[in-house]
Amino acid sequence: MGKTDVWQGTLALMILKTLETMGPQHGYGIARRIEQTSGHLLLVNYGTLYPALLKLEQEGYIKSAWGVSDNNRRAKFYQLTRAGKKQVARETRDWEQAQAILARFLAPDEAS
Amino acid sequence: MASLRAWTARVGGLFGRPQADRDLVDELNGHLDAHVEDNIRAGMTRGEARRQAALRLGGVDMTTEAYREQRSLPWFENVTRDLRHALRTLRRSPAFAGAAVLTLGLAIGANASIFTVVYRVLLKPLPYGDSSRLLALDYGVPSVNITSGINFMTWQLYYQLADRARTLDGVAAYTRDELTLSGSGTAERIASSQATPSLAKVLRVQPALGRWFAEQEGETGAAPTAVLSHGLWARRYALDPGIIGQSIRLNGVPTQVIGVMPATFAFPVPRTEVWVAAQSTRASASFLFTLQGVARLRDGATIATARTEMTGLIADLARSSPNQRGMVATPLPLQESIVGRVADTLWMLLVSVVLVLLVACANVANLFLVRSEARQREVAVRQALGAGKQALVRYFLAESALLSLAGGIVGLAIAWAAVHAVVAYGPPNLPRIPEVRLDGVVVGFTLILSVLAGVAFGAIPLLRVAPLPTSLHENGRGNTASRGRFHARHVLMGGQVALALVLVISAGLMFRSFQKMRTVNPGFNPTSALTFRVGLPNSEYASRRAAVMVHHSILDGIASLPGVTAVSASTCLPLTGTCFGNGLQTERRIEDGKPRPFLWWRGVAGNYFETVGMRILRGRSISRGDVERGERIVVVDEALANSYFPGQDPVGQRVRASIPPNSRFGMPEWLLVVGVVSNVATTALAEPPAGHLYMPMSIAGGPDIPTQALVGPDVTMMGYVVRTTTQPSSVVTAVRGAVANVDPNIALADVQTLQAILDRASEQMAFTMVLIAISASVALILGVIGIYGVMSYVVTQRTAEIGVRLALGAEPRGVAAMIVRQGGAVAVIGIAVGLMTAFLGSRVMVSLLYGVSARDPLVFAGAASALLGVALVACWLPARRAAAVDPLVALRAE
Repeated sequence: MGKTDVWQGTLALMILKTLETMGPQHGYGIARRIEQTSGHLLLVNYGTLYPALLKLEQEGYIKSAWGVSDNNRRAKFYQLTRAGKKQVARETRDWEQAQAILARFLAPDEAS
Repeated sequence: MASLRAWTARVGGLFGRPQADRDLVDELNGHLDAHVEDNIRAGMTRGEARRQAALRLGGVDMTTEAYREQRSLPWFENVTRDLRHALRTLRRSPAFAGAAVLTLGLAIGANASIFTVVYRVLLKPLPYGDSSRLLALDYGVPSVNITSGINFMTWQLYYQLADRARTLDGVAAYTRDELTLSGSGTAERIASSQATPSLAKVLRVQPALGRWFAEQEGETGAAPTAVLSHGLWARRYALDPGIIGQSIRLNGVPTQVIGVMPATFAFPVPRTEVWVAAQSTRASASFLFTLQGVARLRDGATIATARTEMTGLIADLARSSPNQRGMVATPLPLQESIVGRVADTLWMLLVSVVLVLLVACANVANLFLVRSEARQREVAVRQALGAGKQALVRYFLAESALLSLAGGIVGLAIAWAAVHAVVAYGPPNLPRIPEVRLDGVVVGFTLILSVLAGVAFGAIPLLRVAPLPTSLHENGRGNTASRGRFHARHVLMGGQVALALVLVISAGLMFRSFQKMRTVNPGFNPTSALTFRVGLPNSEYASRRAAVMVHHSILDGIASLPGVTAVSASTCLPLTGTCFGNGLQTERRIEDGKPRPFLWWRGVAGNYFETVGMRILRGRSISRGDVERGERIVVVDEALANSYFPGQDPVGQRVRASIPPNSRFGMPEWLLVVGVVSNVATTALAEPPAGHLYMPMSIAGGPDIPTQALVGPDVTMMGYVVRTTTQPSSVVTAVRGAVANVDPNIALADVQTLQAILDRASEQMAFTMVLIAISASVALILGVIGIYGVMSYVVTQRTAEIGVRLALGAEPRGVAAMIVRQGGAVAVIGIAVGLMTAFLGSRVMVSLLYGVSARDPLVFAGAASALLGVALVACWLPARRAAAVDPLVALRAE
């Protein structure tokens, strides 16, 4: 199985989930983490990450602040807001529901 | 929620872009550096690490672009870019932009101002709770051809309706009077209203301060109380809340102030400054028509059901009170009763300014056409370079939007000034005028109007831009412009001519009506006559006798002034209203079974007919001796004689007030008719003559005459007429002195000439005429400019062709004629269309006209030939230039 591009719409949830588990992160860190979590099956086009981050920030799910990274560089750190935490929970629930529904369709010969 | 937030953030993203850009560059550089270090740690060379990192980021530029699009609103940025570009282009052609903005501004301003008046006066609900259910009470007597318009009622009828009408949720009655306010400060006459305590409940209004009248304050004999208007409270009492509970003197009677109404309360008229409780009792309810009524429809009832029920209740009442026999109720919405009189005029004015706007749009569209043709190369180049159709449309619309918005702003400024002028100088009898001002609705209307106008004239050149991909090679030898383009201009030009003609015809019709109205004989001689009214304080002049004596002293005092040839008085002057009405019985029965119309009763003194300029047709006049002796005589007018004494001589017959036979006060006395005088206008010029009955003031009503025994109007208030040998205004000071000589506490009200009263009667028509004439002139001027512009352009475009024609031997005169013919043909078609439009739309104007048909052939023909003449002149000027073309120059210019 080759590497897959991130599906539209799921990137936002991955970013939010990453920030939830890792705490404040800068853009590069988030990208690396998403790749690691996917077992390097996902290929994040780093370029798409920044508009997505901006959109989440505009929606109020994350906030950003300039800080200093591990290697002593100036970097912009992103952090979940309270609304963002709720959003993670809501989207996770939606996702699981969608998955469960799809699973029924895909399961072979389930008694109907 | 989140999307709204995001949108706000993106709007915010339109600003502070440089800083945000720098931040993004920093962030991406940091990202790259971190990635490069990781790659090196993973064993790449520095160059390879850099290459891989840049690759994974997917290009800094593309990322930045995507980021920017997310950051703000890209379409908005496109639009602002187009607007900026349009602004630059327009600034390079200030003449074009200025002409367009000014034309639009004028037209939009005219629309905004008239719309303001229409909206505030006609459309905006009255400022009372649930005001659509309020009715003005009105009556008619169909058997004498008075279908409606008797907007007075009796106390008897008031109680009948208040107690028994189930379709009404409250009835209130009121009067419009004036009285003298004194105590603390100078005495002054102010407009007042006696109102039943139910008025506040019916209108659903609350005093701003204190309270309104309680039910028992409307009973005869209750202590007098008053409610002040906000204006009076501010003007005379400096907004002192301590006024509540204080005593003021109204007509000399100490009266307790119990409340102040809010500033918005303007009932029955805006200038009303004090309300007192109208007092009566059911047992002694008067049968005189002294009250006006307003009622609230009960939920579920309609005007129709209310009319049926009220007419039935009147019939019940008329069994015991015959002067209300034959009356039917004709209630109408209160708003209509207040503004209905001017509604037709205002709508007509709105139509006229909309027509002006159309003419203006046609003009600007023409300007745009000229420009778009001059810019065909530019457009073609843009298209060749890949500009999409959408981008071109957006770009051109940006230009027209800018112009129309600028026009809208200029228009708002004009409207602001115009509305102020209308409020300050407009006809004072325009109802609700204090409520007229610019507001959000008007600003919204103006902006929508300018956008519509912008699209209207912006779209016309667009129709021509769209199919032009081939126009790059159309710039070879253009000898004559293509037919299609001329077609569009000619339609615009013809349309302008048609619209302008419609307006000129309307103005002509109004002018003819005004002329006719001015020649109506009002029944009196308006030249060199001063009028004013005198109201006597009840406390000092508590009897009719005292009032008559003081009026005689005033008459004598004024008569002895130099420059005064005659002076007399009447309870009501011509053209100032109906004042006092009552029914009449004749001694000798007229057996034709018809109920007789209502009459207006007047008490007079001092050779009234001679002074006012009425003619004595039969018998004699009322002399000073008649008044002093209190002779039981009357003089009737022609209208009364015709309806009460058909085919007979009224002189020598006896009449009396028609009072119910069971009246506790016995029957009124018989009065001998001694003369017949000519008719005089009561409320308006050109109304059908109403019957009048004149009696010596000494036998009319007075403060000591019980309402139930009244036969004539109260002489406490008299209108005076002073004939002078010079300017009437020159005697004002002397007249004031003469009155003050008799009693310094007597106030003069409404000092004006008889001519001014007459002028006011045709004022509304004059106002309408002037405004329509302005609209017509603007349309005419714009139309002429339009024709001239089109024809000039045609000549310019055809210069080469004309050069060829001249070189081949055409006569210059023939060339000029050709141009004039071309323009004239379009003008003639426009005139034909305009005549047809005016003919078909003539019904709109009928109610505004007087004495002239809405299809008056003279006006139609005059306006059409005037317009044709103007159009030909506008064509002739460019034609002359065409004739002067030098063939050599024209051909070399190719």
